[in-house]
Amino acid sequence: MLSDYSATLTLIALTAIFAYSFYAVLLAGQLSLGQAGLASLAGFSATIVVPDDPIAGLSPLVVGIPVGMAVGALVAFLLGLPVMRLRGVFLAIATLGFGEMVRIVLINAAWTGGAQGTTLPKLVTPGIAWGSLLLVAYWFWRLGGSRLGRALAALREDELAARAMGVDISRYRMTAFVTSGAVAGLYGVLIAYFSRFITPDDFGFSAAVDGLVTAVVGGSLMFLGPLRGSAFLTSVPEIQRALGVEAGWIRPFLSSALLLVVILFLPGGLSSLIPRWRSPQVDPDVAPPELAPLPPRGSPVLSLTGLGKAYGGLHAVRDVDLELRSGEVLGLIGPNGAGKTTLVNLISGLAAPTSGSGTVLGRELGPIGRGHLFAKAGVSRTFQHSKLFDRLTVLENALVGAHVVSRPTLLRRLLWLPSARRDEQRALAQASAQLTRVGLGDRAGVPAGELAYGDRRRLEIARALAGHPTLLILDEPAAGMNHVEARELSTLIRSLAEDGITVLLIEHNVRMVLETCTRILVLNFGEVIAAGDPATIAKDPVVIEAYLGSDGPADTRV
Amino acid sequence: MQQVLNGIFAGSIYALFAIGFTLVFGVLDRLNLAHAATFTVSAFLGIELVADLGLSIWAAIPAVLVFGAVLGLIIERLAFRPLKGRNDAHFAGLISSIAVGGMFMALLLARYGPDTRRFPADAFPSTDFQLGGVRITLLQMVILGVSLGLMLGLAFLVNNTGLGRGMRAVAENPHAARVLGVNVDRVTATTFAISSALGAVAGVLLAFYVNSAQMTMGFNIELKGLAVIIVGGMGSLKGAMVGGIALGLAEVFAVQYVGSSWRDVVAFGMLFGILLVRPQGLFGARQVREV
Repeated sequence: MLSDYSATLTLIALTAIFAYSFYAVLLAGQLSLGQAGLASLAGFSATIVVPDDPIAGLSPLVVGIPVGMAVGALVAFLLGLPVMRLRGVFLAIATLGFGEMVRIVLINAAWTGGAQGTTLPKLVTPGIAWGSLLLVAYWFWRLGGSRLGRALAALREDELAARAMGVDISRYRMTAFVTSGAVAGLYGVLIAYFSRFITPDDFGFSAAVDGLVTAVVGGSLMFLGPLRGSAFLTSVPEIQRALGVEAGWIRPFLSSALLLVVILFLPGGLSSLIPRWRSPQVDPDVAPPELAPLPPRGSPVLSLTGLGKAYGGLHAVRDVDLELRSGEVLGLIGPNGAGKTTLVNLISGLAAPTSGSGTVLGRELGPIGRGHLFAKAGVSRTFQHSKLFDRLTVLENALVGAHVVSRPTLLRRLLWLPSARRDEQRALAQASAQLTRVGLGDRAGVPAGELAYGDRRRLEIARALAGHPTLLILDEPAAGMNHVEARELSTLIRSLAEDGITVLLIEHNVRMVLETCTRILVLNFGEVIAAGDPATIAKDPVVIEAYLGSDGPADTRV
Repeated sequence: MQQVLNGIFAGSIYALFAIGFTLVFGVLDRLNLAHAATFTVSAFLGIELVADLGLSIWAAIPAVLVFGAVLGLIIERLAFRPLKGRNDAHFAGLISSIAVGGMFMALLLARYGPDTRRFPADAFPSTDFQLGGVRITLLQMVILGVSLGLMLGLAFLVNNTGLGRGMRAVAENPHAARVLGVNVDRVTATTFAISSALGAVAGVLLAFYVNSAQMTMGFNIELKGLAVIIVGGMGSLKGAMVGGIALGLAEVFAVQYVGSSWRDVVAFGMLFGILLVRPQGLFGARQVREV
């Protein structure tokens, strides 16, 4: 009985492995369709490299699999060098083009047997297929709770915010892509030794689309998604056959209609039918990691000389000089469009200056590709329009914030080393302490997307604090808050300053800035028009004229 | 010279297909992967109209145009409208349009079976012209005329009519457009109808050109269409037009100088070249991300 279904069972496992190669990049928010080409190259290389007869008692499969995976990973790396800077559908189309070129080149090559392909022995049994699948699924399961897994999820949800939290975007995107290549390579070798036959046309456009569809139908946010997608899509034709549905067109029609229903009514794929894994639990006995002490009060944090940023002919920021010392709370105010956010983007490494220079915590301002290094150096920030990782929980958001003060855990998690668990618990303790500090302690398990506005702003601050910043930049944290909330925020900021954190506060709530800051910088049309202590600024006629309007009282909100 | 003309004829069909593709992307920021199914279905329908109902090609082209528009409305209704407001609408739209395309193809299979279909031998007048040593058939003139006419008509529509203004407003910012009184749903549906109508005519013109239609003809043109819209710049109508004709020409020369088995690499060679040198495409605007 079981043997009747052994081909189907094997196919479910192999299709799932292929779907995992899509999952590997979807996880990081990338849409790639090049996996069919990678699988094809891997499959053919393995058949060429490996002789049909066992070497030293090893089956060709045992030699072929590592060869195929290595080829898949290597080619993915080489392909990734030019295409990894592309996003969204551009990446999808470029990788699709790659797959198509591979197909045509292999058809025209002599060593592949051209369009006729190559014949191979049948070596893949259901056991081998499911064994390989379990290893792949295990990898992605352990990836889920690791620092790398969280960084990839952050990357998917909001790339810029992930960069600001110290995630090295280029490297992590490439990591996901190379992993995908290795898994695709595994699939290429297995399917070749399963169907006993490999032709370049097996890995065309429709194969790539099928792989993507399987991953998405199963659910691209959950490690069992690809397996569920494969079990569902592979068994649909079998069920139809069992039910006696035979007409040639009904089967593809029903499959497509089912696909449509799943995608329209189950946004998270089939996995959304199954309740989500519970959020990680914080162990109250574990202390946060040992963190480097903040620099002593008065040591230099930030130094800008003639810094400027122009977009085309528009000078968003022009000729700004600024010194900031540890322990200060600097307010940055100015009318809308004065260049405040641009200045902050420059300081946090998310934009590159076009003139002048500056150093932040010993780091030279420069190209944005190195933006994550500023977070490592101790710069942490919030965003004016909150950029939370909406599909992650509140606690997971703060955990991503702790990226720069935690250690990579994936490899140790694969081996279940206790030290990995200890490191994860420390990171959790660090994240959870910041949530408590901003008053979100009881909302840890809620997806960030479901938070109310004021809570979102607080979570931004907690996430930034989790990175143990020396310099904390708050971009309009009180926007939309009422007076009570703004006062609480002001108290929080002063308590942070007492802990030795240097704060750069951008705010439109002038009263709050006057109450909170030790020094204030006023920006208009990209230039500094006044600087000094709160009392001086509040009386400065230039400031009143430019910012508050000539007759506006200094303590009203603008 | 003959080769150049052949390239232009094939290229004008690529351009017409790609312009429909890029229209939906430019206005609605969605990639409609059912476009190739519309193309294929319409090619078969065109053959049926001419071969079985005895229509002349002059009557068949407008009929297919209308049919394509209806398919476009169905695609929008089934695959895209239900996704409105979902944060994964980009991904989901790709998949749901693949699903709707698959349903179209299954219905096509039900009606015509898997075999290649051809026009009857006397379907086209065999008139041809000699121009300075180059032979052009009337059919080729028709293909070029219809595709250029439709593309120019689309350009006029987008630039000079109220509907076109609505499209441009939606492309800029759908929320603002709605606030300003643009009926966004209607503009969206109309955009799909126009896009699919163009894809449908491209299908029937290709069927005329190669005198046959197959189930697999959509895959090929879909890949080429994607390459063309990237080369021309996503969402750029002019880019799709120039890119399509450039691809037609490049293919002809590749067959001439490299060999016919490499013809299909040309599209992707162009694609990669452009992506590396000028990721926004020939006529695309560079998008600035905001913090």
